Parts: sequence; C-alpha cells; structure tokens
Amino acid sequence: MVAGEHAPSGGRNWIKTVAYAGLIILLFLLPLFVDSVYYLHTFIITLIYTIAACSLRTILISGQLSIAHAAFMGLGAYVSSIFARELNWTPWLTIPLGGVSAMVVGVLAGYPLTRVRAIYFSMVSLFVGLAIVALMGVFQKYTGGDIGLIGIPPLPSITIPGLPTINFLSSKIPYYYFFLLLTVFCLMILHSLENSRIGMSWKAIAQSYLVASSVGINEAGFRVLALAVGCFFAGIAGAGYAHYNMVLTRSSFGFLSSVNLLIYVLVGGTGSFFGPIIGTTVLVIVPEIFRWLKTFAPFVFGGIMLLVVFFMPQGIAGLFEQVKTKFLHFQERKKPRDVS
Amino acid sequence: MFLETKELTKNFGGLAAVFQLEMSVREGEIVGLIGPNGAGKTTVFNLITGFLRPSGGRILFDGKDISGKKPHLIAKMGIGRTFQLAYLFPEFTVFENIVTSFNLYPKSSFWEALFKTPSYRRKELYILEQAKEILYLVGLEGVKNVLGRNLPHGYQKLLTMARALAIKPRILLLDEPIAGMSLEEINYAMSVIEKIRSQGVTILLVEHNMRIMTLCDRVIVINFGNKIAEGSMEEVRQNQEVMKAYFGREDAA
Repeated sequence: MVAGEHAPSGGRNWIKTVAYAGLIILLFLLPLFVDSVYYLHTFIITLIYTIAACSLRTILISGQLSIAHAAFMGLGAYVSSIFARELNWTPWLTIPLGGVSAMVVGVLAGYPLTRVRAIYFSMVSLFVGLAIVALMGVFQKYTGGDIGLIGIPPLPSITIPGLPTINFLSSKIPYYYFFLLLTVFCLMILHSLENSRIGMSWKAIAQSYLVASSVGINEAGFRVLALAVGCFFAGIAGAGYAHYNMVLTRSSFGFLSSVNLLIYVLVGGTGSFFGPIIGTTVLVIVPEIFRWLKTFAPFVFGGIMLLVVFFMPQGIAGLFEQVKTKFLHFQERKKPRDVS
Repeated sequence: MFLETKELTKNFGGLAAVFQLEMSVREGEIVGLIGPNGAGKTTVFNLITGFLRPSGGRILFDGKDISGKKPHLIAKMGIGRTFQLAYLFPEFTVFENIVTSFNLYPKSSFWEALFKTPSYRRKELYILEQAKEILYLVGLEGVKNVLGRNLPHGYQKLLTMARALAIKPRILLLDEPIAGMSLEEINYAMSVIEKIRSQGVTILLVEHNMRIMTLCDRVIVINFGNKIAEGSMEEVRQNQEVMKAYFGREDAA
C-alpha cells in the first residue's frame, strides 16, 4: 500500500492484473484475426489518439482544462518530421525529440499560465494552441504552410540478426505493433505517475488549490509538471503519427481537434484512468462503423455525446463504477449482519 | 519571539484591513485572536501564511523574515493552518485527505515516484503509519474511508485540523475551529486542541465563540486592523477599548 493505492480494494488486485494482461495479449494477437488494411488503420489511429487522450487527462486531473492538446501533438509531429526530412535524422531519435520539444513549449507556456485557473486557464490555453498552429504556417520552406508537409520518412526497417527484417512499408502490421508497444509504454508511465504521491498532489490541487498550498504542495510546480508530462506524450503521439501518415496538414491539429480530444476524455470519463481509453475507442471506431451514413456520421457522434451527458455524467468508465458499486452493495446485503 | 508581526499593514484599495499591527506569540502558547466582525483577523492569518502579501511591515517566524513568501514555502517552515470554512479535498476519503497532506518530509523525487523504488515505498509506508497516528489523535478512525464531502460538518472541521497536523507544524493557525459545532462537538474539538498543544505545537486561533477562550493562555483583541488590548481573558474583558469595540458605547455592558 502506497499513496493512491489505499482504497479498500482488498485482494482483488490479481484479478485486475490478469484482466490487463489478457487484454494486452488479445491486442497483440489481433492482427492474426484482422487482415483488413482499413481495420488495422482504424486501430492504429485509435492507439495514437489513446496516448493523446490519456496524456490530456493527466493535465485535466491537475485541474487544468487545456484546449491546446492537439496543437502539442502537432508540435511534436512537425518537429520530428522537419528534423527527419531536413537533417536526415532517424525517426527513432526525432520522435523522442518531438516529445521533448512539445514538453519544453508546454512548460514555457504553462508557467505564466499558473497564475490563471479554471475557465481563464482554458481560454488562454486556447490561444496558445492557436498560436502554435499559426506558427506551423509561417516557415513555409520547412513546414509546407497550408499545402502541408509531404515526404516525411517512414519508420526505418529494423534488422535483428537471425530474424526476418521488419519493414514498415510492407504492411500495416509492423506499424500496429509499434504503436501498440508505444501505447503500453506511455500508459504505464502515466498510470504509475497518477497512482503515486505526484498524482495525489495533482488531484488535490484540482479539488482545492488553497488547501493544497496550505499543506505544502507547490501549486505552480505541480501544475507545470502535469503540463510537462502531458505535452511530452502528446508530442510523442503526434510524432509517431507523422511517421505513420507521412503527410501532415496543420489544420488537423487545430481547435476542433483539441476539442475532439477533450470529448474523448469526457465521454470516457475523467474519474478513471481507463476513461480516455474507452472514450477514444468508442468515438474513433463507432463513427467508422457508421461511415455508410456519410454526411450523417457526425450526428452519430453528437448522439453518443448527448446520451453520455444525459445518462452517464461520469463518462462510460463511470458507468462501470456505478454498476460495480451497486453490485458490491448487493453483495454486502447478502452477508449476515454483524450483531454487536 | 516565536511568531511576531512588526508594523504589519495590508491595504485593500483605500481600506487598511490591517494597520501597523504589532503582535507576538511565544513558543508553546495557545493565543486567541479576537475582535468584532471585519476587524482583520482572517486577513492577519492570510498574511502570516502567505495567502496575501503584506503592503508593509514584516512577519518574523523563529527569527526569520517570512513576509511575502509563497504559501507552500511557509507551510514547509512549519506553519500549519485551517480555513474559516471547512475547506478540504471533497473527493478524497478522510484517510486520503491526511495522507495527501504529508508533503514535506520524507520527500520523494519524481523518478522515485515514477519507478516506485523501494525507498519510495518505504517513505510512503512511513507516511501511512504517521497518518494513522493523526487519525487516532483527532478520533476520525471510525470514518476513515468516508469521502470528505460526505462528512458531517463537525467531522469536516476536525479533518481540517488533522490535515494541518500532517505537515508537522511548529505553530498551528486555527481559523474559527469550532464555528457551527454542537455543544458536544465543541467539547470534543477543544479536547483535541488541548492534545495537539500537549504535543508541543504552538496554537494561534481566531474564534467568535468565547467558550474556547478558556483554553487560551493569552488573548489579543484587534479592531480595524490594530491591536486594542492584550492579556488574559479576565483582563481583556474589563478593558474599556474592548467594550467600546464590541458594544459601541463606553457605558454599555
């Protein structure tokens, strides 16, 4: 038992561990059952947005509702692409570099922003996002401006002695495994941070910054830390996307994309670490299923949102919690009462 | 002097909420800070704990100048506080409220927390032990797993005291610790305050309910941001200035 882990969960932790392991194994076996390029593409996009949505939630739990997250994804994507294109650096190096540069910009923009809270923070973050996207249109020689950036190198093939060469251009399967590993890695870090004293401090600041600072929590410091972590993984997700898609347009990182990310998190539920994972999966895959509706597909998206807002104010993950609580109460009632 | 203000002044626009206030607290004392509504008591608390920056004057704690420092740094120096309203972490359980408040020592680094190193786990286990002790000290062990927002008011007030204890304060500033409590709860809260003091924590408290003043070694009366009287409760009660401040006329009471 350490900070964040002292909820009365009893001895059911191993069930959780088995469930997670099972899910991950299932995801690793998925390409055996799915050979459609289109489905694999959808799964890859889901994985990329899962990283982005989970990192956005890290910022959200520190009480900062950022409307600039897609812009930080874009920042990582553009930095990684430009370094790979212009300087011929390997993407294995430029992807972390993209994450680091998103983190640096996040910290530089975030530090003065610690003076504003709640809706005022959101408003300023909106303009930070717009400024980043505007910047992508400025240095046209490097960014391609409004036409977009083309000719981004794919991930280089990997040769391990004794094994067949992994070529990322051969099919979507190597990319699927790359993003699956990346997602598991990023989510493990985010999960570990949230369930530590750091995560507790973030949540404490969100609940009452006055109380938090009265017990010695450095409000500005922890808020900037949340931004640093969140923007880093947004940058990683964006950079990975760049080397997968190989074409970037700055309009895909604008205001609407940031709002979309927020919707993924809110529909999934901010209260649980798995909220954004569920939200992204549902909101990326379900509109794809309803693609045959063509122009009406956005209505499906909107419909899901309304249903969630009305019936699941805690998000889809919150619904699981509600059911679990009900079930537990039911169990408790079945037990004989203590007579003392 | 343990805690001392020198010509402490705070202006809000043209209004001087605190004006050249000189007051001091000795180590180990329980001091009551009283005064009519709007006298500036809470402003003094906010100035001492760094939630407001003084417009002038100095605050000395244990010989060091702490005026204008950030709240979390002041907490780090050993000044704990509670708020007038029962501010707490509403979405945390009682126990989590206390555990989260252990921020100062032992301190873990970012990487220790990320990798959950043995030293991190050791420190957190130590914190859990300490938090349990505080839980028993204030008598909240029965509602350990209740969410902060679901607690009754009296318990919430006790929890705010418990939380302030988590920073291992050398001095505790209690802003109306028994406001809104029933008689039973008041007696219990007062016994808790006694216990805290017996552990060697100096206490400065603001309260309108004069019942608690039986605990105080000394009372400081302020009005319009200035000290008008000081001494034992009996002495202060006889003071003409105090009567004037509270009742308006000198021949009243």
